[in-house]
Amino acid sequence: MAQPGFVPPDSNDFIFKPIFGSSIFMTKPALMIFFSVILIVVFFTISARKAAVVPSRLQFAGESVYGFVRTTIGQDVIGPEFERFTPFLFAIFTFVLTNNLFGVIPFMQFPTMSRIGFPVSITIFVYLVYHYVAIKKKGLGRYLKEMCFMPGVPKPIYIILAPVEFLTYFAVRPLTLAMRLFGNMFAGHLLLLLFTLGGEYMLKSALFVKFFSVLSFGMAIGLSFFEMGIECLQAYIFTLLAALYIAGALADEH
Amino acid sequence: MKGTLSIVGFGLSTIGPGTATGLIFAAYINGVARQPEARSILQPIAFLGFALAEALAIFGLVLAFVLK
Amino acid sequence: MATTDDGAFWTIIAYLIAGLGFWGGMGFLADHFLKTNFLTVLGMFLGMATGLYLIWIRFIKESPK
Repeated sequence: MAQPGFVPPDSNDFIFKPIFGSSIFMTKPALMIFFSVILIVVFFTISARKAAVVPSRLQFAGESVYGFVRTTIGQDVIGPEFERFTPFLFAIFTFVLTNNLFGVIPFMQFPTMSRIGFPVSITIFVYLVYHYVAIKKKGLGRYLKEMCFMPGVPKPIYIILAPVEFLTYFAVRPLTLAMRLFGNMFAGHLLLLLFTLGGEYMLKSALFVKFFSVLSFGMAIGLSFFEMGIECLQAYIFTLLAALYIAGALADEH
Repeated sequence: MKGTLSIVGFGLSTIGPGTATGLIFAAYINGVARQPEARSILQPIAFLGFALAEALAIFGLVLAFVLK
Repeated sequence: MATTDDGAFWTIIAYLIAGLGFWGGMGFLADHFLKTNFLTVLGMFLGMATGLYLIWIRFIKESPK
């Protein structure tokens, strides 16, 4: 074993070199974000172009995604006022789903959402929307009062409870929303990297160890399918929680 | 290899709450599947158990950061 | 139905983190300025109790249906 030891993948593997010149604005993830937007627009434009009563296969695919978001996430969670928010939820869902699935598509193989900036920016949108909706509906004073001072508690205990409630709505909710998506994508990609790099390393070492590299590559392929499931699930959960926060903002009382 | 032992401790401390959460929801799903009308009775109990088990996990998370 | 359950789990976790974070952080700050060393632990227990109490009020006492 005179070779240098195995170098495990770490967070430096998530930092890419700039593509054009030295500007860090255009790296692989940024390029993939633009590509995903183009992909979504093209796909749904084509699928809705020749809308017919008897849908073609492409139209059916587009409509089933839309129907899923509209009914399962919008209507079931938000309730009667869901129609206003369907485009917003649909945009979030398709955007997150496409960018997550880049993690297992060959030659891209990097989930864009494993760079913290992208989940954070989507979360900022959700955050602004649900607070705006609540303040517009209830007014700032009533919103804060309903949030921090729930009925049925002895007065002095509010000193302890109110800051925690406030912090939950204004800090922890968006934080967990962004961290959950980021963490899942980051850990999943790291896991795939570990098994692939490990297999490659074992393939280069002694003959006996070579057999185990098959195991490692097999594990990487199996985990890729597992990751695909997780990526779809995370897109769903992200959209679902966004809908739930909007529903909570619209609800009259707790 | 470098890192802190606190993280290993946090990893160990999640085993308990993870198992507990699994058991709680296994029992909850079992109960609701057998008797769907018992859902309204079982749901608060399941949430209480989940909250108590999860409290330990979050305690572990915070202690992993606080203790040096 | 399942969707409201899903939301409740994450809300529970958010409450626990917020309670522990806020009062534990307060205890840590108090320790830092008063040069004591027991207030962090005290604050963490208070925060945990607060989080559990809020969950009790929100989800268990007046359980949804």
